[in-house]
Amino acid sequence: MNFDLGTDQRDAAAGARAFFSGSTSPAAARAALEGGAIEPGHKALAEIGFLGITVAEDAGGAGGSLLDLAVVAEQGGAVLAGPSLVTAARAAVLLADVPELAAQLADGSTAFAVLDGSADGSHPSIDAAAATTFLALDGGALVVGQGEATAGQPMDATRGLASVRLTDRRVLAEDAGELWARARQVAAVVLAAEDLGAADRAVALGVAYAKERQAFGRAIGSYQSVKHMLVDAWVGVDQLRSLVWWAAWAADAAPDELPLAASAAKAYAAQVFERAAETLIQVHGGIGYTWEHDAHLYWRRAKVDRLLLGDEAEHLDAVARLVEAGALRA
Amino acid sequence: MDFDDTPEEAGYRAHVRGLLEQHAGELLHVSPGESIDPSTHQAEFRATQRVLAEAGLIGIPWPREHGGQGGTLVQQAIAGQEFARARIPTLINHIGLGMCGPTVIAHGSDDQKSRYLARLLRADDVWCQLFSEPASGSDLAALRTTAVRDGDDWVVNGQKVWTTLAHVADYGILLTRTDPERPKHAGLTMFVVDMHAPGVTVRPLRQMAGGAGFNEVFFDDVRIPDAERLGEPGEGWRVALTTLMNERVAIGGAGSDVGVPVETFAAHARERLPALDPDRQVLARQAVGRAVVASLATRYTGYRRFTVLSQGGLPGPEASAGKLAGTTAGRLVADAGVRLLGDDAVYAATADGDATWQRQQAYMPGLAIAGGTDQVLRNILGERVLGLPPEPRADKSGPFSGGTR
Repeated sequence: MNFDLGTDQRDAAAGARAFFSGSTSPAAARAALEGGAIEPGHKALAEIGFLGITVAEDAGGAGGSLLDLAVVAEQGGAVLAGPSLVTAARAAVLLADVPELAAQLADGSTAFAVLDGSADGSHPSIDAAAATTFLALDGGALVVGQGEATAGQPMDATRGLASVRLTDRRVLAEDAGELWARARQVAAVVLAAEDLGAADRAVALGVAYAKERQAFGRAIGSYQSVKHMLVDAWVGVDQLRSLVWWAAWAADAAPDELPLAASAAKAYAAQVFERAAETLIQVHGGIGYTWEHDAHLYWRRAKVDRLLLGDEAEHLDAVARLVEAGALRA
Repeated sequence: MDFDDTPEEAGYRAHVRGLLEQHAGELLHVSPGESIDPSTHQAEFRATQRVLAEAGLIGIPWPREHGGQGGTLVQQAIAGQEFARARIPTLINHIGLGMCGPTVIAHGSDDQKSRYLARLLRADDVWCQLFSEPASGSDLAALRTTAVRDGDDWVVNGQKVWTTLAHVADYGILLTRTDPERPKHAGLTMFVVDMHAPGVTVRPLRQMAGGAGFNEVFFDDVRIPDAERLGEPGEGWRVALTTLMNERVAIGGAGSDVGVPVETFAAHARERLPALDPDRQVLARQAVGRAVVASLATRYTGYRRFTVLSQGGLPGPEASAGKLAGTTAGRLVADAGVRLLGDDAVYAATADGDATWQRQQAYMPGLAIAGGTDQVLRNILGERVLGLPPEPRADKSGPFSGGTR
C-alpha cells in the first residue's frame, strides 16, 4: 500500500502554492465583494496550465489525473482563488469526446461554465457569472450554448455564481446522463479539495493566533477550551484529506468507487470546512468578526460551498443508498 | 498511490494466510458479533497464541534474540489484518505483546529478558499493565502505590484499578512511587510483579456493558526482589513512557475500524433500512450516511499512517487522532446500528437474542476513556502536533508529598 502523494504531485502542489500565493489572497476575495476582479482570474489560470490538467494531451491539456488536479485545487482553496478548478475538471470530463472544445477549455480561449439544473433557468452555478459558453444537461442530452446569466447578491464573490437561461444550444451527445453524473462526481471531489485547502488554512490561522494572543496572563491556545476547538477542527481536516485523496484517486484508478468516495468527500468537506471557519472566527473573538479580517472570507466560502453540487444531506443520502445497493459488501 | 500490497507485502500476506489455514483446527475462531471471554476459555486462548507463536506469527517486529521474528511493523499490521479476516479473537496476551514485552526489552536485565520474553510470546504467561489507580487515571504520575526498599526486596502497598486481564495474568508491569520527597514524575519506579505472589488480590469489576474484563488489584506488603526492577529507581516515568509509546503503536490503527467493521454495519443497514417506515428511512439514511462517511474517513486516514510505517517511519503523536476520530466514528456506527433495529432498539437484545448493536452502544463510553481519554488525546494533539502551549501546572516541581499533586 502506498496511500501518499508521489514526488511529482508534491512538486506540483509546491508550485501551485507559490503561484496562488503570488497571484491572489483573501484580500482579493474581500475586494471582489465590493466589485473587484476575481483573482488570479481565468486568463492567469489558463496560462499556467491549470485549466487543462485533466484535458487530454492531444487536445492541448496535460493529460493528468484528477489527483494531479486535486492537489493544485487544494492550494487554490487555501487563498480563496477564483475561478474554481471545479469547472475545469467537470468540463474536461464532459468534453472528453469533443477535442476542439476541450482545447478551448485548456487554453482558456473560451470561458466555460457547467450549469446545474434546467438549461432554461439553472440553479446558481459556479463561475457562470463571467462565463461565455455553457454546458448543460437538456432532456438527457449534453448541450453547449450561449445564455443569459443572472447573478444574485454574492455571499462569496469568488464563486461567480449565476443562474443561466440558454439562448441557443447545440447537442454534443445524446444519452449523456451517465457522463453527466460522473462529471458532477468529479466536480464534487474538486470542490472538496478546494475546501480542504481552505479549511486547512483556516485552522492554521486560528492556531497561529491562539499562540500569540494573550488573555488572563497567558496564550489563549493554552486553555483547553480553545485548544480542543482547534484540535477538533484539525482532526476534521486531516480526515478530509484522506477522503479527498481517495476520491480523486478513485476517479481514474477505481471508477466503481468514485460515487461513494465523491459523496463521502463532499459531505465531509461541508461539515469540516464550516467547523474550521466558525472556529477561526471564535478563536479570534471580536477582531474575527470585522470586515477587515480574513476570517469571514473563509466563513463565506464555507457557507456557500457546503450547498453547491449537493449539500451534506444529499450526499449522506447518496452514501446510504449506495450502501443499500451493495457498496461496501464484505 | 495505490492500495495494493507491494510484492513483498503480498508475499508475506499469502504466507500468513497459508499458516492460518494450515493451523485452522488448532485456533479459536469467533463468528461476527460474537465475543468469547478469555477468563472462561483461558486454555483455548493460550493454546491459540502458542500455535501462532510456533508458526512465527507473534512478536513479529521483536528482535530475534528475544524470540521475535526481526520483522517490520508493516508485517505485524498485515498479520493483524489476517487474524481479523480469519476471525481469530483478540490475543489473550495483547497487553503483554503490545506494551509489557517492549518495556522489558527496552529496560529489563538480560536475566529478565531470558526468563520472561519467550514465555510471554507463547502465552505461557499472560501479562497485565498495572498503571491506573483510583486517584490517578489521566494524571498517571499522581499515583500513590508505594514501594519501599527492604534489603534485597521492595515492599509494595497500594491499589491499582481498571487493570485489563489482571484476573488471568501471571505477571504485570507495575508503576510505583519510591520517593515521595521528589517531584511527582521523578519519584517513580517500575517493576515486574508476580501476580501470584502473596499479598496480591485481584477483584474483577463488572463493567457497564455487563462483562468483567478489567479489575481492581490490591497490594498488601507484596515483596518484589530488586532484580525485578525495570530501569533505575526514580526512572519509572521514562520507563512508562516507553510503554505508552508502544501502546500508540499497538492502537495506531493501520486502517482497521474501531468497533465493528464498516462492512458489517453496511450489511446491517441493507437488511434493516427497508423494514422501516418510509419517513423513517429518510432520516435513517442520514444517520447511516454519516456513520459510513466517518468510518471511511478514519479508515483511509489509517491507511496514510500505515503508509508511513511501510516506508520505515514511526507513528508520531498524530496517531492519537486515529483513536479520537475512530471513537467518534464508532459512536456514530453503534448509534445508527441500534436505531436501525426499530422497536428492538429499546431492549438489550433483539427478539431473536442478537445483542450485537446494543453491546457496541454500551461499549462506546468506555472506548472514549481507555488508552487515553478524548480530552487527554486532544491535549496531546494540541500541544505536540499543533504546537499550542500547555496549561501552566503547579504539580510538576515541588515534592509529591508537599501536597500540590
